[in-house]
Amino acid sequence: MSAMVTLDRLSKNFGAERAVRDVSLSVAQGEFVTLLGPSGCGKTTTLRCIAGLEHPDAGEIRIGRDVVAAPEQGIYLAPEHRNIGMVFQSYAVWPHMTVFDNVAYGLRVRRVRGADIKTRTRRALELVGLEHLAGRYATKLSGGQRQRVALARAIVYEPRVILFDEPLSNLDAKLREQMRVELVRLQQEVGITSVYVTHDQTEALVMSDRVVVMDKGVIQQIGDPHDIYARPRNAFVANFIGATNLLEGVLRGRNGDICDVEIALGESHAPVRIKALGGNVVAGDQRMIVSVRPEDLSIHLQAPDGDGGNVFEGEVIDTVYLGNFLECNVRVGTQEIGVQLDHYMQLRPQQKVFVAFEPDRGLCLTE
Amino acid sequence: MSTQTLTNETLQAPAASRWRSLVTQESVATVVVSLIVAAAVILPLLVLIVSSFRVLDPGGFDTTWGLDNYRTLYTDRVIPKAFVNTLIVCAGSTLIATFFGVALAWVNARTNCPGRGRMEPFNLVPFFLSPFVGAIAWHNLAGGKVGLINSWGRDFLGMQGNLINVDNLYGVIWVTGLFFAPLVYLFVIGSLRRMDPSLEDSARTTGAGLVRTAMTVTLPLVAPGILSGAIIVFVTTAGEFGVPFKLSAPYGWQTLTTQIFSKAVGDDANIYLGAAMSMALGVITVLLIWIQQRYIAPRSFTTVTGKGFRPNVIDLGGWKWVAFAFNLGFILVAVVLPILCLFIVSLHPVWQSRIILHDLTLHNYVRTLFFWAPDHIAAATNGIYNSFILAFAGATIAMILSLVVSYMIHRTKGFGARLLDFLCVVPVGFPGIVIAMGVLVTYIKTPIYATLWILLLGYITRFFPYGQRNVSSVMLAISEELDQSSRMAGASWFTTLRRITIPLLKPGIFAGWVLLFIIFLRELSISIILYSSGTETLSVGVYYLTNYENDTLTAALSVTQTVMLLACVYIFRRIAGREALTV
Repeated sequence: MSAMVTLDRLSKNFGAERAVRDVSLSVAQGEFVTLLGPSGCGKTTTLRCIAGLEHPDAGEIRIGRDVVAAPEQGIYLAPEHRNIGMVFQSYAVWPHMTVFDNVAYGLRVRRVRGADIKTRTRRALELVGLEHLAGRYATKLSGGQRQRVALARAIVYEPRVILFDEPLSNLDAKLREQMRVELVRLQQEVGITSVYVTHDQTEALVMSDRVVVMDKGVIQQIGDPHDIYARPRNAFVANFIGATNLLEGVLRGRNGDICDVEIALGESHAPVRIKALGGNVVAGDQRMIVSVRPEDLSIHLQAPDGDGGNVFEGEVIDTVYLGNFLECNVRVGTQEIGVQLDHYMQLRPQQKVFVAFEPDRGLCLTE
Repeated sequence: MSTQTLTNETLQAPAASRWRSLVTQESVATVVVSLIVAAAVILPLLVLIVSSFRVLDPGGFDTTWGLDNYRTLYTDRVIPKAFVNTLIVCAGSTLIATFFGVALAWVNARTNCPGRGRMEPFNLVPFFLSPFVGAIAWHNLAGGKVGLINSWGRDFLGMQGNLINVDNLYGVIWVTGLFFAPLVYLFVIGSLRRMDPSLEDSARTTGAGLVRTAMTVTLPLVAPGILSGAIIVFVTTAGEFGVPFKLSAPYGWQTLTTQIFSKAVGDDANIYLGAAMSMALGVITVLLIWIQQRYIAPRSFTTVTGKGFRPNVIDLGGWKWVAFAFNLGFILVAVVLPILCLFIVSLHPVWQSRIILHDLTLHNYVRTLFFWAPDHIAAATNGIYNSFILAFAGATIAMILSLVVSYMIHRTKGFGARLLDFLCVVPVGFPGIVIAMGVLVTYIKTPIYATLWILLLGYITRFFPYGQRNVSSVMLAISEELDQSSRMAGASWFTTLRRITIPLLKPGIFAGWVLLFIIFLRELSISIILYSSGTETLSVGVYYLTNYENDTLTAALSVTQTVMLLACVYIFRRIAGREALTV
């Protein structure tokens, strides 16, 4: 598979603010890649640079074999010459045109013959299930329908790449879930290369072939959804994707893949020695963080038998009932640990409990 | 919802208490105000229609019923020409105002033209000044013989005749076009500024270039605003009296307004013929305003998103200096040059189209401003005094009325509310001179004729909708639940109004009050019909001076009026912030 979109050390500043720093990324033909991160992390700026709506300050952007932006060489191709499609958060469906005219716009700009415009626009509208609304004005459509119009408008002229700028964040929760599935189905049907921007981690995990996690203008990790969730490269990624407990500690030894870590629990408590997966931590008395996800922890009323297990003794702070499970916060010395429990479990505040996890469920990370 | 429940309860209640529940503070006030507004708005128009069918006999004493007045409209020697001239002037100045308005709005909202922030407030200045004074200034600047530019052309360039001449229909078109450009500007700049940038971005990513995006997306989206602005300019120009009176009427080009004035208030006045002419003018303007309100305003697109994006700004490259020169040029010809020229003229004892440095004097200001000066001119000093009384009282009364009316339109439901809403649009459809003719024929035989009261009535009738719109826009933005909570807490309707609603509406009330104060301070076309000796206003004073005294005295009073208006605008902007003073 050849690369369809390539970013090479892309940088973009807004005044003194460095919005995007040395971002390098390659998106293969037909791949669905998501840029994920908190607001202000540079994901939308990166996307707008690919679209040509922002001028990058340094680096290079290639679409297919064409260099579309390379400020050092004075190359900048206007958005209309990049042959891309884009779907915006606000839908941006033109209110002064009918649904048909909105979708046909890109074909008319490309001087497609009249008869072809009709059939291709019809086909695009059928693809998004809006063929019956072709004559309607955009102002008379619901949010979900507008988003479908925007989608049909972006794919009708078969662009090389389609860019999504948080397209689902203005929809209500139910519709958002439904549109997620539909979008992926459509993307696979058309087989179009897609770059998708979102701050919603579930969206990223559900939809993407690969996820690019960004923070402060820098790529933190690139990987498939399982990698990102199960093998986060640093504390930021672990915390941003799903919930996690981050326990500060010091590395005391390493045995193959398993590390021996001492977790400090404050002055009144003795430190606890635990074992966890090594991850990218190297060796020797190094300060580091152990990440354990709430669903990987268990709670016991008596100290669990056997040795080698990681066990903390603590007391329940509070519990939150969420229907399908119970969330329990436990105080262990100065640390606070969140545990996700079976919803039949009954716990009361101040109750003494033991929190445990298997060594292969904890992950050592650098700070 | 709550009104629904209330009505159900009232229906079930016995007859006596149902009657009592109708007589609430709220309903009494509603009925009283509706009647006042209806009387103020409808009565003059009805009497105007009726009067237009009364034909004055040749002796000038008795009237009979008939259509003769309307027949005169097209058999008269001058009126049909005046009608055509009016249409030419309206079309011309609409074109000029739309061109300047749209171009300036675009430069300010969407380009990287240097000094935008500094120039923006000045682009609006002509809107607050008197077009009549503008005409006087341009007459002194570029009039046929007297114009400063022309005399310089003769002195320094050795030219024969005139460089330019504004003493004709083109001059009227030019000056009105310049002065009404801010109207279009205001209609367009908001939608240009707040437009969701992704509407244009998506055209670009879809494959359209800059120009195509502008033509197929940006322009169509602001088109309703442009069209609305253009119609308002057309209608306002049709009712404009001062500019054609100064620049074209003396040289043989009459318009409908100058004809209404000379036929209805001249020595051989025929107010019934004036009424018929006003009807002709009013029908045109009402029709246009109706089209604008009914078909164009509702078509405005809501293109605003919640996201706080900056609008797309186009890098003009080297052309940004052209844009800068264009904007600066507009401010120069519309604001700076006219005011400067008037000021220079006002310092001369006699204006000979030349600056004579050793002759400069402030005596013109003494004669027009100081009522204790022995050689003061009463029309001018009275005018200043009367205008301040009228502006202060008029703005205050109109805002109280606006407040109550807006409250009724937006916070009560039913027939009364819709009737009031309609009544508030009606006066906007008629030029001031038409409303003034209606007020004149209605009250000419009552004691208020020839007093300031009739002027006050004319001002408020014509302009209170402007104040009402200011209050309404704020009221719509404030949740109804805020005053419902007050009622729930046990306060009466009036207490709620006084303690909750009015404090929340303060910015809107204040903005409306200042706008009306400014409008009243420069008002001419109503005053010119309704004034009499002793009740001159500021603009009537200027009219008197230009008609019966000399150019330099006229210039002095014009400068005085301009300074007062600018001071109002300045003080207001300091108090209320930049964006507040818009229509």
